[in-house]
Amino acid sequence: MFKTKLTLILAATVVLANVALSADPAPTPLLTKRTEAQLLAAVKSDAPYKDKADACRELGILGTKEAVAALAAMLPDEKLNHIARYALEPNPDPAVDEALRDALDKAQGRPLVGVIVSLGVRRDARAIAALGGKLRDADPDVAQAAARALGKIGTVDAASPLKAALPTVSPVNQLAFCEGLLRCAESLSAAGDLRQAAVIYDQLRSAQGPHQVRTAAVRGAILSRGSGGMPLMQELLRSPDFLVFQAACRTALEIKSSALTKMLAKQLEQGDADHRILLIQTLGKRGDAEALPALIDAAKAGDKTLRLTAIRALPQLGQVSSATALFEMTGDADREIAQAALESVASLPGPAVDAAALVFLKSDNTARRLMAIELIGRRRMTTCVPELLKVATDQDPSIRAAALRKVGELASTADLPMLLDLLLKAKEGQDLEALEQAVGALCVKSAEPEAGVEKITGLMGQSQPAQKAALLRVLSAIGGKGALQAVRGAVGDSNSEIRGAALRALGDWKTADAAPDLLALAKNASDSREKLVCLRSYFGLARNTDFPTDQRLTMCRDAAGLAKSKDEKRLLLSALGSVQNAGSVALIAPFLDDADTKEEASAAVVSISEKLLQGRNAARAAAATRLVEPLKKASQVTSNADLAKRAAALAQQAQSRAGRQ
Amino acid sequence: MKPAISSVGAAPSALSRRSFLQRAAVAAAAITAPTLIPASALGRDGTVPPSERIIMGGIGVGNRGSGVLSNWFLPEKDVQFVAICDPQKARREKIKQMADTKYGNNDCKLYSNLREFLAERTDIDAVLSAPGDRWHALAAVWAMRSGKDIYSEKPSAMTIAEGQAVVETARRYGRVYQTGTQRLSETAFMVAYELAKTGRLGKVHTAYAHIAPWDEAEMRHDWLPGEDEPPKDECDWDQWLGPCPWRPYNVAYTRGAWRGHYDFHTSCIGEWGAHTFAQAMFGLDLLDTCPVKYEYVHNISGDGMVTTFANDAKMILSRGDKHWRGSCGMRFDGPEGWVGCADGYSKPDVSSPALLADSKKLVGDYVARTGRPVGGNGHARNFLDCVKSRHQTVSNAVVMHRSMSAVHAANICMWLKRDLTYDPVKEEFVNDAEANRLRSRAMRAPYMF
Repeated sequence: MFKTKLTLILAATVVLANVALSADPAPTPLLTKRTEAQLLAAVKSDAPYKDKADACRELGILGTKEAVAALAAMLPDEKLNHIARYALEPNPDPAVDEALRDALDKAQGRPLVGVIVSLGVRRDARAIAALGGKLRDADPDVAQAAARALGKIGTVDAASPLKAALPTVSPVNQLAFCEGLLRCAESLSAAGDLRQAAVIYDQLRSAQGPHQVRTAAVRGAILSRGSGGMPLMQELLRSPDFLVFQAACRTALEIKSSALTKMLAKQLEQGDADHRILLIQTLGKRGDAEALPALIDAAKAGDKTLRLTAIRALPQLGQVSSATALFEMTGDADREIAQAALESVASLPGPAVDAAALVFLKSDNTARRLMAIELIGRRRMTTCVPELLKVATDQDPSIRAAALRKVGELASTADLPMLLDLLLKAKEGQDLEALEQAVGALCVKSAEPEAGVEKITGLMGQSQPAQKAALLRVLSAIGGKGALQAVRGAVGDSNSEIRGAALRALGDWKTADAAPDLLALAKNASDSREKLVCLRSYFGLARNTDFPTDQRLTMCRDAAGLAKSKDEKRLLLSALGSVQNAGSVALIAPFLDDADTKEEASAAVVSISEKLLQGRNAARAAAATRLVEPLKKASQVTSNADLAKRAAALAQQAQSRAGRQ
Repeated sequence: MKPAISSVGAAPSALSRRSFLQRAAVAAAAITAPTLIPASALGRDGTVPPSERIIMGGIGVGNRGSGVLSNWFLPEKDVQFVAICDPQKARREKIKQMADTKYGNNDCKLYSNLREFLAERTDIDAVLSAPGDRWHALAAVWAMRSGKDIYSEKPSAMTIAEGQAVVETARRYGRVYQTGTQRLSETAFMVAYELAKTGRLGKVHTAYAHIAPWDEAEMRHDWLPGEDEPPKDECDWDQWLGPCPWRPYNVAYTRGAWRGHYDFHTSCIGEWGAHTFAQAMFGLDLLDTCPVKYEYVHNISGDGMVTTFANDAKMILSRGDKHWRGSCGMRFDGPEGWVGCADGYSKPDVSSPALLADSKKLVGDYVARTGRPVGGNGHARNFLDCVKSRHQTVSNAVVMHRSMSAVHAANICMWLKRDLTYDPVKEEFVNDAEANRLRSRAMRAPYMF
């Protein structure tokens, strides 16, 4: 529903946008085929800003050294600076760097900030000295841009002025200077200079800067030390500062080392629940089998939240050996623990887990056997269908029903004869119902449902009434011509149970194909009770909103003449009420004068009219015209005051809309 | 006052946020109380332990974002939404009303300037950001730089360089990032991904990805007629433009007519490709790369463009309903079958019903293997869980950047009207200087990385 709502919002937004678009020019090519000289002529001319901006956009793609001088002249200008940089920044010619450096002394305010950032983007090492000087600029935006630009350049020389300035940096500039240093450390690491990078990270770790900087410094300090970072990792995992601890855990996700796994597992022995939850999640996410003993211990006993976290982390290790412990926990007294364990063991790979499930299936304990059956289903153990079929004859009805449900999910077409055999022999109603579900599920998911229909119809003659009724319901679920033919044949059965089941099967049909049969049966019914049964099924089909509205209205119209008794008329009105169409209101209208049906008819007229007159697809004038009189009538005949009020209001609304015709 | 993002993350306090909240509760203060308590007093200092609530704010939350907020974030019990920042007054007031109605108070604070908002609200752990394509990457970088985790709507980057900046910043500061490609967390789609990834279709050779049925790949470069700018409090036009080139104000831009303009939008390819390319790459299990070849097609939208990964798998752009019914569709073809899905599907379309026999197990295994929720508001929940665990989200910065790189490359292919080859390792086009220049756009000061 949410998605639908979002789609509507988006569609509305698009419509709005398109309203604007409709009056505006169409899209145009990014490149206009103008030469660089022509574009530069526009830049140098007195043309409006828009023309210069368009030229700069193209010069950004194809400008050469020839374009630099004209664009450089625009850099100090508050309005033109950006479009000049738009053209210059991607231009690889070294003359651009020179022009930008030159502009450092000419530009101020926003233009200067823009020039500094562009120098950083271009990683111009020759600008380091000038940018270092800008770190002391009184304008924080300038100083901060310089710090980040030095970071982008990222060399030892670029880091030098930042390192020197950090201890005395003003609070307002602190984060930018830290970021400059972090960028330098990342560049140095990427270039293989891990020692210099570690120096920077350590400086930032001790600087007590913003939390995100300390997080970054913790990560960098550990990773830049390579395998020598483990002592630091151990120290940080023991930090009382949750931030440091959390950063260390996150960093642990980036390091593959069984020694680290052991370190994390050891740490699980201490700390509060928050610390331990994070450790457990980290151990799970790292996927190292070394964590298995620690996670199993955490899963088995202790704080429930910790147990649940550990149970859910275990499958991430993918270790079959965790299955035994998880199996045990599926019997836990706490249902949440048991369910989590079941879900975890269900996803463990490997035949050993399947074998364990089969052992549990043969246990004496009903709860364990039910769990095993559930597990066989969850693990999609299709080879276990024979075992399930054996269990399907168990003394315990709950075991039989559970096994049959799973047979329906797991069995293949090849198992159908055996299932049908069981169905024919079923004595208990519960078993028959479970088998009916299983056979239905199997046939519906089959790639060739007609093959199932053949097998089922072949057995109809030798079935007892209850079994035959069950098979008719299965045929209804499968659908198709062959199934319809078979159900049609059962409608004339001498046994009333079978006849009733056949009629209901037609009423539940997935398509409108069964409608003519039901209509004919209603017309030719030998008594009023049978006619009512037929009409109930027929109008049930007419209420199926999967069918087109016009088709459902036609179905109602075709049977309207048959609705004579009070109950029959109410069935018709119920179906018409579900057809949101002015035509259905016209069919309902005569029933407003009928004392037996005026209340139902009034309610139906109001319900349909409300839907037609309100909302985005409000009824058009012609349709609204057809609603006015029935609504007025409904407001007069109903004894329900609220309904009468709604009908009167809707009548006015319909009148108003009709008046716009 | 000159805004600055600098005072974030003051010195830690011995008092934990949890103990503060407990004390506040004992004192009968509403659980909604601490909207103006500085982070240092709460002892949060950039951390959200598993037992605590997540304090959230919003950036540029309009129609799309308000649906995400009201349906996914506000109902979560461990979320407290406390502030909204938007340069448009009407939009920020609408979100305040939504939050205040939810909590029965008047606490949601209003901000019009993003830098001030980020600098001042050090108590906020995470933000929902949905200001429009032009702002998504910059807002993400600024927010993460300020120590906040971010759920960012898509398309999440205007250029390849913007995506790189988001990835670098998330990695640098250890921030949690999730982009709004929610179909990576929906059940029917997940069945399709898992069918593709687990070999049920054989080795998948082709994925189809839906592109939006409106707009074109070619963009508009005109301006709407200039109008008088409204008072800054009503709409701060300079902020609305953000990093984009200046142009005169026209109210239609602020009401959605920014779509289709080169400066603001990523075309019909980005509009849905931001979703569907990530979907296709998820099913192909190729999330940390992107296609290497892009074959130009002579039509207005890119429909039928064949893109090819280094392992020869193909992702084909598709407009209309050729392969699905509904929006944001995708399809995977292998030698042993196919699977397709789009919005509105309760289960995927498949070449054989037997493929769906173990749908529940496929999804259950994925959940157990990854610890990520699927279905319902799983995408938002995945983000919130990761805010606490510090793990990677399903649509993390790398996933966003790689799928958006494919979007940008496909757009550049259409704009330059020629086939392109891209190197996903060096992140550059091969032997095409013009295409390489389109990997970035200079940003307007002070709206820069």
